Amino acid sequence: MLGLGADRLRADMNRLLAFLFHQGILDEQYLQLQQLQDESSPNFVSEVVNIYFHESEKLLRNLRSLLMDREFSDYKKMGIHLNQFMGSSSSIGAKRVRNVCVAFRAASEQNNRAGCLRALELLEHEYCFLKNKLHELFQIEQQRVLAAGVRYPMQN
Amino acid sequence: MATMQRVAQSSVSTSAAATSSYGGSSSCKGPEVVISDQFPVGLRVLVVDDDITCLRILEQMLRRCLYIVTTCSQAKVALNLLRERKGCFDVVLSDVYMPDMDGYKLLEHVGLEMDLPVIMMSTDGKTNAVMKGIRHGACDYLIKPIREEELKNIWQHVVRKKWNENKELEHSGSLDDNDRHKRGNDDAEYASSVNDGADVSLKPQKKRSNTKEEDDGEIENDDPSASKKPRVVWSVELHQQFVSAVNQLGIDKAVPKRILELMNVPGLTRENVASHLQKFRLYLKRISGVAQQGGISTSLCGPLEPNVKIGSLGRFDIQALAASGQIPPQTLAALNAELLGRPTGNLVTAMDQPALLQASLQGPKCIPVEHGVAFGQPLVKCQSSISKHFPQSIVSVEDVSSGFGAWPSNNIGTAAPSSGLGGLSSQNGNMLIDLLQQQQQQRQLQKSQQQQQSTVPEPSRSINVQPSCLVVPSQSSASFQAGNSTVSVNQNGTFCRTPVIDYSLLSSQSNNSSLNIGQVSDGDLQTTGVLSGYIPPTSLSPSVSSCSLNADNCTSHQVQTSSMTFKASRHLPGFVHSMCDVQGPFGVTKSGDVFDQAHFSNLGYFNKEACLPTRFAADEFQLPMSSSSSRGKVFAENTGTRVKQEPSMEFVDNVKVGIPMLQQFPPNDLMSVFTE
Repeated sequence: MLGLGADRLRADMNRLLAFLFHQGILDEQYLQLQQLQDESSPNFVSEVVNIYFHESEKLLRNLRSLLMDREFSDYKKMGIHLNQFMGSSSSIGAKRVRNVCVAFRAASEQNNRAGCLRALELLEHEYCFLKNKLHELFQIEQQRVLAAGVRYPMQN
Repeated sequence: MATMQRVAQSSVSTSAAATSSYGGSSSCKGPEVVISDQFPVGLRVLVVDDDITCLRILEQMLRRCLYIVTTCSQAKVALNLLRERKGCFDVVLSDVYMPDMDGYKLLEHVGLEMDLPVIMMSTDGKTNAVMKGIRHGACDYLIKPIREEELKNIWQHVVRKKWNENKELEHSGSLDDNDRHKRGNDDAEYASSVNDGADVSLKPQKKRSNTKEEDDGEIENDDPSASKKPRVVWSVELHQQFVSAVNQLGIDKAVPKRILELMNVPGLTRENVASHLQKFRLYLKRISGVAQQGGISTSLCGPLEPNVKIGSLGRFDIQALAASGQIPPQTLAALNAELLGRPTGNLVTAMDQPALLQASLQGPKCIPVEHGVAFGQPLVKCQSSISKHFPQSIVSVEDVSSGFGAWPSNNIGTAAPSSGLGGLSSQNGNMLIDLLQQQQQQRQLQKSQQQQQSTVPEPSRSINVQPSCLVVPSQSSASFQAGNSTVSVNQNGTFCRTPVIDYSLLSSQSNNSSLNIGQVSDGDLQTTGVLSGYIPPTSLSPSVSSCSLNADNCTSHQVQTSSMTFKASRHLPGFVHSMCDVQGPFGVTKSGDVFDQAHFSNLGYFNKEACLPTRFAADEFQLPMSSSSSRGKVFAENTGTRVKQEPSMEFVDNVKVGIPMLQQFPPNDLMSVFTE
């Protein structure tokens, strides 16, 4: 039954969301994002999140290359990247990523290379985790939309 | 409000929404249908953020608020956009950290060139970061993540800005004014605020205008959160050097490197000079624009543009206001921050004086003085040079500036102990003498003394009024003077003195203040070269005294209530207040309001660089005013009865007189105005 499938998928999605919130991976800013999705931009959340992924990967690459430069690490530039990372992460509600960014930035401000490396590892890990979970979420959502034939599940 | 109307119109006609391209730097939205007469709808917002995730989210949020959103991911592109499409945006939302251009820099440019409210945003919510933003003139600072609710309210900055501009022009009695007024009268708090809070609040304003040439010199004024990087202090002397170097080279051929060579100041870098030159050019451009326009209305417009600060001012105390006034973003006046510091110091000392009444009086007065100082600073140079030219002038430039700080405090100190009128009057006389000597006008001295004497009998009446009225009048006089003071340093000195006098005698106060004003104007005149207007001022003070008598008679003549130029109105209030002192019974509150307005307007006025010509005009205006008052005692009466409308009446006369003066002024080479 189509309806049943949709309901089950919806329950899955809610469960996943609850998990993400409970783990502190997402925060209420993500809900804000969902509320911004409306008729004029039906795929707003996934659109923004994809932009975020794209940008974040660029930032992560930059951060890694900055840190890999053994002679000289440009901590100031790192700080700028991290600031942006923090801004975008907090804007989509990626709480844990943001928190790691804060720690990362603190380490970079102290020119603490080891701390930065550790933070980078953690950041990459958190980022990947978030990305996987959000992809999962979007997938369920997509299936649910298909199953229910409803376009804006979030709104009801 | 004009804004509201305008916005409403725009929203009706076409409002945009659009698709934005993220890869590209900027995207302007095409038209979308958002039809509404409700104000915030259709607000045109430019969002600048290098983080396109945030950019997209902000865009969506703003669109949900029914604003017209334009997004831009590069600060430089945004700046170009703003330049190309001036008047196409109501408010700018800008990120702080951007790779191509610092958000503060963008803010600075926007403040300098188009006077739009700018809201900064950043993940960095540290106090010094926020402080820096405010200092650079941001009207708000949002910390990411930004929520929709915060964006719903940004229209308030647009309204506030316009409102303040209008207020400045119309000097309509507004809440803000009243608030400020009350705060001003609050002596004790005031004093304390002077010491700590005001300093901090003062600084930011200063910074915003001259980010590069902000001053580290005055330690007392420096707040801890200020940036540590040493900056060039564009003091009066330094700026003087700069101007003379530019003059030598010619404004068109002046390049930073050459200027630097000519100035030959150790520690000054080419960048410093370059940025200063840039500001100076902008300033000249603006001034010339105003001058060309000529006429009252245009001159008014000039001030309108520049006043960026008013919105921010509202939050600060009067002092802060003064400070803001002093530090208009685009004003070169802002460059001379040194003097500012001194007045505050004076304030503090003044506050220490025992009597509350005095304190309250002093406080407000001192503030205006500060204004005057700040404003005067740019001009100070001119005067100084002028004084040099004058063979008899005793005061050298340095003396003036230094004396500046010292005078008020001295006066106050003497004033407090000396309750005797004689002593005060003598002081005044001395002061006046100094001034007179400088200006070579001894008649005034005699007159002034006579006036003082004549005023003595009156005090009895005024005494009744004193307790309540005193404060306000004193302020008024102070503010009034402040306006005048812009022109010359000497004037400022006189101002300080007047407050002192005020304490002892109310009536004498008014007279004194008027006298001082007259002198000041004289000074201005000499400097400016406009001779005709100056004589009247001297007559002013006597007229005022006579006015008080007339007030009792109270034949209220209803003069034309014509919409005057705002400037005139401002000046008038000051006048009115002096009248009020005598007439005590008049609504104190009203006069107070007017007063505040006068204050306020003066501040705003001076803040703007564009105002240079206008200031002169103001001075000139005063002259007419004084003359009018001297002619007609009726005027005085009118003022007493209707505080608010009176100004306008007087103003009309003034306007007529003043306008020609105004026009005369602008023609002068700007540079020459500066140096000579």
